[in-house]
Amino acid sequence: MPITSADIVKVRIRRFDPSSDTEPRYEEFEVPYTPKMRVLDALDHVHEKLAIDIGYRWFCGVQRCGGCAVRVNGRELLACWEPAERDMVIEPLQHAPVVRDLVVDRGPFEDRLARMQPWLARRVPHPGFPEPITHKDMAAAVPSFDCIGCLACQSACPVLDLGAATTFAGPALLVQFAQQALDPRDTADRGRIAFEEGGIFECISCYKCEEVCPVEIPIVERIIEPLKALAYRAQPDRARHANAFLRLLAAGPWIDPAMLVLKIQGLAAIRHPLRALKLVLRGKIRPMRTLFGSRATGAAAADVRRLLDTFDRRR
Amino acid sequence: MTDVLQTDVLVIGGGAAGSNAALKAADRGARVVMVVKGLLGKSGCSIFASHLPYHDVSTEQKARDRFRYSVRYYNHYLTDQEYVKRMEHYMRTEFYNELERMGVYWRRTDDGRLLASPNRVPVLVVHKQGASGVLIMDRRRKEIRRRGIPVFEESAVTALLLDDGRVVGATVLDCRTGRFFVVLAKATILATGHSDYLASRATATREQSADGIAMALRAGAELANLEIQWWHISDMLSPRAWMRMHLYPNPLLGTKESSRLYNAQGAMFFEQVTHAPGASAPYVEQIRRLAREVTAGRAHWDGDYSTGYDHIPPDVIKAYQRQAKVWDKLGLDVAHDRIECGITWHMRQGGVNVDTMTMATTRPGLHVAGGIACHYLGGVGPVSFDGKVAGEAAADAARSTPAPALPGTAVEDEQARLFNFLKASATGLRPIEVKMRIRDIMWTLGYVKNAEKLQAALAALRDLRDRDVPRMRLQSSSKVWNTGWIDALDACSMIDACEATVRSALRREESRGPFYREDYPFVDNENWLCKVIVSRKDDEWHWRKEPYALPYLAPEKAREAFFDADY
Repeated sequence: MPITSADIVKVRIRRFDPSSDTEPRYEEFEVPYTPKMRVLDALDHVHEKLAIDIGYRWFCGVQRCGGCAVRVNGRELLACWEPAERDMVIEPLQHAPVVRDLVVDRGPFEDRLARMQPWLARRVPHPGFPEPITHKDMAAAVPSFDCIGCLACQSACPVLDLGAATTFAGPALLVQFAQQALDPRDTADRGRIAFEEGGIFECISCYKCEEVCPVEIPIVERIIEPLKALAYRAQPDRARHANAFLRLLAAGPWIDPAMLVLKIQGLAAIRHPLRALKLVLRGKIRPMRTLFGSRATGAAAADVRRLLDTFDRRR
Repeated sequence: MTDVLQTDVLVIGGGAAGSNAALKAADRGARVVMVVKGLLGKSGCSIFASHLPYHDVSTEQKARDRFRYSVRYYNHYLTDQEYVKRMEHYMRTEFYNELERMGVYWRRTDDGRLLASPNRVPVLVVHKQGASGVLIMDRRRKEIRRRGIPVFEESAVTALLLDDGRVVGATVLDCRTGRFFVVLAKATILATGHSDYLASRATATREQSADGIAMALRAGAELANLEIQWWHISDMLSPRAWMRMHLYPNPLLGTKESSRLYNAQGAMFFEQVTHAPGASAPYVEQIRRLAREVTAGRAHWDGDYSTGYDHIPPDVIKAYQRQAKVWDKLGLDVAHDRIECGITWHMRQGGVNVDTMTMATTRPGLHVAGGIACHYLGGVGPVSFDGKVAGEAAADAARSTPAPALPGTAVEDEQARLFNFLKASATGLRPIEVKMRIRDIMWTLGYVKNAEKLQAALAALRDLRDRDVPRMRLQSSSKVWNTGWIDALDACSMIDACEATVRSALRREESRGPFYREDYPFVDNENWLCKVIVSRKDDEWHWRKEPYALPYLAPEKAREAFFDADY
């Protein structure tokens, strides 16, 4: 049933003040539904009408500042942009320290972004205006210009669940970085930075970032993939995942997941026997087939080899 | 002991004016510290910028149109015309080039021409109409980071420090931690914008509580033309958060068309290309036409009228306009559906009285830049020029100024004022309730003003100050991101700024531009083509008039009926 003005919206807000609380608690409020109500309208009601001092951040209210991203019922969204739901559990973004209640500290994100030199680098700046460039020249960079830096994708990224175990910078940083890296005017060694500071090959292309992006940037195809290509071109030897993938493909037309892990991680892969056992039990990897199975040949394999040859020639 | 930072130039505010002031002061070799109440380049109204006037002066006619637009339609002659010439020169020679070098992309066609709108006063945008401010401010934010200029974000400047009449810095409260500290500066630049979330419906951002106006007033600076307050009428009625969503009345990129406004009966009452062809920003004429509809019972200030683009091919809207997304998001069709609107308090022409050559105020040591100043309405380009002028002048002044010392007991007094609010109580008046009441008072005052309504607003504000502010109690005494604490400080700033605004409005006995007094319904160029200046000293209010020089352009008529004027 669609929500109407007669309805009451139930809002449960995660509250946490690190200066006095030992752990977070959830406080529940009832908010009357108003026409076209957004999540932010419900938060504002709690603050302005119920006079509760919840900590929440927003500036513009209209999808420009990127300040109000939160998680509602487990999903990242921009509070100002998405409609209020009948029952909402509202929590702060993940993968960032909480300042208070729904407010997260953006500092670590900004510091890491600065290491990626997110400013246009040019050997010789164009002296006049307008510089002779066309909209076609800029086509690769334009999708990244829509980014408002809300960090919703950063919170949704499962690779960042690994914490210190991954070197991945996260989708939000990479979209910001792409504003220069994919700009034809830029002359810095962006491929190297994407690899060394961005950990670009750690991305598993799961599309979770795209699913939550409030400005609908095609992050995987238009940002991550071009950045991976840049990084590969800059340092092909260090793109272990891509190289292992290519070698396996060259050997036969299907990818054996166990072999892929072994080729990428080498001996380090055996440091996680429990994880390996789990994968075996769930049928994700089949060690007997990896060790003793025969590689397929025939038409399919020939097709793959032909494709790889084309790829090599283009490189 | 309070932490004290020493610097050459302190910049307060992180929008287009403040960011450029910081960069230009640093260019001149000054040590710069920035303090921003929100987030640099993300809070404030600069991110709302969409259409940037392109100062095309390739023919004399174009140059004349451009200047006339700035002076007559944008500022109703309440501006320094020499400043306008200098600012337009900057826009022509520096503004776009510099931002493009910083990585901003101005929209081109596929074959590389700048995509300017074809109307009389052309505009440029970044990759999409509606996204200019976001991209410009993002680049400035990163440039400041690249230069290593220290920025204190989510930190509120609470008072300007005075030593023997000279501004020597400011006190700061870090809202994230509750840390109170002092920045001593040889020169201080106030760049806090229009900062006008002062009415129930306003386009200003959340943190904007006119702190800059209030601090300048308390420091004894003069304030001019505060009453010249713009309203937008093509802003969305609902959802409430989207009252800041401006459905542009200006011509669309790639077409000569603009949106239309319809009254409750569906009759069109405003279209820019028809009703305000000389004005690229047609807001003054828009609200006059809406006022006629409201008087005739065919619209309300908040609702019962609508806007739409249904007379324009939808592919044009979708190609260039970020705003088309609004229709999609609400499940509407931009080709057929219209959206209900309400008016919003937008920005003000007036502000701190200033010498436009240096952006110095009447207080030694204090400069202003951008929307907080009185000399020009605003816009990302002009306020960037202000930032440049103020930044360079402040850096130069700092060179010949000795490092200031901590003044007397001012710091302790301010600390006591702030921490006095930090009293928690299970019940009591919450600061947000006072803020909401102030916005309600100013919304009730509204567009149609008269002496009686102004006096009533003044009395209501006085009541709040005397009776309610002392009763304010917080829910928590935490120093970490205490929303109630910030609300309490905001409420005090808002009352001061609103009182100054109402007093200024009471003095101006005419109507002009966006300012309408039904008891003086005429534009009176003979007596009121002047600054109305208010100031406060030892709790006494003062006021004076100061006429404008009109070296290049003057109004044709000495006096005309307000509803007949086109500016």
